[in-house]
Amino acid sequence: MTDKTLSRTPQLSRRSLLKAGLAAGAVAGTAGAARAAGDPAITEIQDWNRYLGEGVQARPYGTPSEFEAHVVRRDVEWLTASTESSVNFTPLHELDGILTPNGLCFERHHGGIAEIDPAEHRLMINGLVDTPLVFTMEDLKRFPRENRVYFLECAANSGMEWRGSQLNGCQYTHGMVHCVMYTGVPLKLILEEAGIKTNARWVMPEGADSAAMTRSIPLEKALDDCLVAFKMNGEALRPEQGYPLRLVVPGWEGNMWVKWLRRIEVGDEPWHQREETSKYTDLLASGKARRFTWVMDAKSVITSPSPQAPVSHGKGPLVISGVAWSGNGRITRVDVSLDGGRNWQTARLDGPSLPKALHRFYLDINWDGSDMLIQSRAMDEHGFFQPTKNELRAARGENSIYHNNGIQTWHVKADGTVENVEVS
Amino acid sequence: MSKFLKTLCLGAAVFALLPAAYAGDAAKGEKVFKKCAACHAVGEGAKNKVGLELNDILGRTAGSLEDFKYSNAMIEAGNGGLVWDEATLATYLAKPKDMIKGTKMAFAGLKKQEELDNVIAYLASFSAAAPAGEQSSAEPAAAEATETATAEAPAAPVSTVRDGGVFGLGRVATAEEIAAWDIDIRPDGTGLPEGKGTVAEGEVLFTDNCAVCHGDFGEGVGRWPVLAGGQDTLTEERPEKTIGSYWPYLSTVYDYVRRAMPYGNARSLSDDEVYALTAYLLYLNDIVTDEDFELSNQNFTEIRLPNEDNFIADDRAEEPQYAQKGEPCMSGCKDEAVEITMRARILDVTPGSVDDDEASGVGGVD
Repeated sequence: MTDKTLSRTPQLSRRSLLKAGLAAGAVAGTAGAARAAGDPAITEIQDWNRYLGEGVQARPYGTPSEFEAHVVRRDVEWLTASTESSVNFTPLHELDGILTPNGLCFERHHGGIAEIDPAEHRLMINGLVDTPLVFTMEDLKRFPRENRVYFLECAANSGMEWRGSQLNGCQYTHGMVHCVMYTGVPLKLILEEAGIKTNARWVMPEGADSAAMTRSIPLEKALDDCLVAFKMNGEALRPEQGYPLRLVVPGWEGNMWVKWLRRIEVGDEPWHQREETSKYTDLLASGKARRFTWVMDAKSVITSPSPQAPVSHGKGPLVISGVAWSGNGRITRVDVSLDGGRNWQTARLDGPSLPKALHRFYLDINWDGSDMLIQSRAMDEHGFFQPTKNELRAARGENSIYHNNGIQTWHVKADGTVENVEVS
Repeated sequence: MSKFLKTLCLGAAVFALLPAAYAGDAAKGEKVFKKCAACHAVGEGAKNKVGLELNDILGRTAGSLEDFKYSNAMIEAGNGGLVWDEATLATYLAKPKDMIKGTKMAFAGLKKQEELDNVIAYLASFSAAAPAGEQSSAEPAAAEATETATAEAPAAPVSTVRDGGVFGLGRVATAEEIAAWDIDIRPDGTGLPEGKGTVAEGEVLFTDNCAVCHGDFGEGVGRWPVLAGGQDTLTEERPEKTIGSYWPYLSTVYDYVRRAMPYGNARSLSDDEVYALTAYLLYLNDIVTDEDFELSNQNFTEIRLPNEDNFIADDRAEEPQYAQKGEPCMSGCKDEAVEITMRARILDVTPGSVDDDEASGVGGVD
């Protein structure tokens, strides 16, 4: 009896039917027939209702349900020459709320994942300090610590979309962002422990990985809100996120959040390292390039519906949901358009509103089943709102790679499928 | 106790049933293999990369994998009867170019016998034809690891409190420790080590260590970075950002090569070798033209890269879309009904889409 199979795994069958090209209406019809005889999900006793499940230690470190196996980070193979210096993307379309599960935070490495024994890890502070110091992980955990929720966005997030819509899914267009709660020591405390010399103006964190990542950061930022973090979402950092130690540089481009942090040098001038000269500089149409473009501007994207999260239920109540963030502070408002930016309505922000963290927004509509061109536009507490992609191109040209915070358009079609498009 | 004796004792039961095991330790070889992993894959699902995949390499005739493009020298060696076993592989990996002149493999070689033994034992564990040495070598490795951990445990760093500072945490870094990690160079030459190297020396080093990814002339292989050329392309539709066309400072080249190159074998070049490579990169970019040119810490800061003046401060806040801070338009923001001007589906470069194996989009993450 095929109806039974369908009802056993409603999510999977809906997904595969949609893939097979059947209209959402047909699915609704089948479900209707099943209801007439009584829904077998109710009238039949399910295995999980009769038999004992696995005991407490079957999964000592818990993992998601097997029905969520498709919720994973994914990469775009053609983007990079090797997987060790590459990126994968957070499945934003499958997530809700404002926190990203640790195993789904996008990865960006320049020399693969360093696997570090924390007993062998050291943090050195040197340069323009009174006393150059070495800390063990044990030492660092004896400083007063803080818990802060911050988004981390790669400066190249949406970088593949400068010349127009290219990748079909917010995982690929916007998935180089994640947001977790960090536990760590304010960098200020660690620098002050070494004693900062009066002529110090910059710091340079360095990673212990095979790329020995380095970036110059102004001392003012280092003393403001940077953290030396060892936990994310309450547990140790994941190896791919810098275990055992990473720098947190709230609101600024992800490349500066040096992972596997082993050294911080204090100096009077920037170092002009590879990642702040040949990379992470923004080439303009004039041939000039901006450097030290640290702040991630106000940005948002609708995560559902989106190309990887089509509308499966036909017309009627529809939850439009997405995330918004700004490196300048809190998001104060997100507007949503259903007609490609001609008319806008203000969405509902739900959940905690924390500075430099993801914000979750919803617009609950009654969909009439006709085509929509959906967009979201974030505004931050400093009054910056998200520009259109064409406004950005007019100001910068198409070769900037980084800092594309333009408004994203999804075309929701009558059959519920969704495509990444650009509009007039 | 010698390692061999330990193998006999701990692995005796297994050992007795097996043909000759490998001298090395497969578990340690896995670490050594990281030097190879930039170009080679091994294990389940391994595919050819810059180098061939290495499953079943032991017992195979050299140059005989059908879907890999070998050098002619390697194919000839195979035709001449070269089969990879522990001995031939050890000779090759010690100095690849000495054994096979004309091999495509740019790797300079493994200097330590122990590393050779271990990496071959590791590769053998993915080779069906190899004598099964994995189990017998893996066991003593585990035993050794435990022993080492126990022996070294008391020496593990404990947190101490010192005089000075606000909390008295940490200890004073020694001059040797700072020298070991503080290798960064600034545009004004701060941090440059004493040393020198010529364009001609750099060319040899580049061919051996760099050309496999960056191409003989820095033109870049596949999606690996292009290092030379591209002058006057920054305003074009497809700008080529190289050391000569884009990078503002030469210090960045020295710093980066010394800290992170060659890819997968960082910190393996001497200071003089980095000077020579930097000199050669200047030559490839026509910034110096004499093959006898010698770059040193003495003349380093005299060299200026052509694009230095084209970098400007962050002035995003002055762009019109940001200058217009305030209440955004809420209704009737566009005169006419909105039209779709472009669709992602036309390009079909999204992973999982119909022809994504063939398709390749534009742009990059860095």
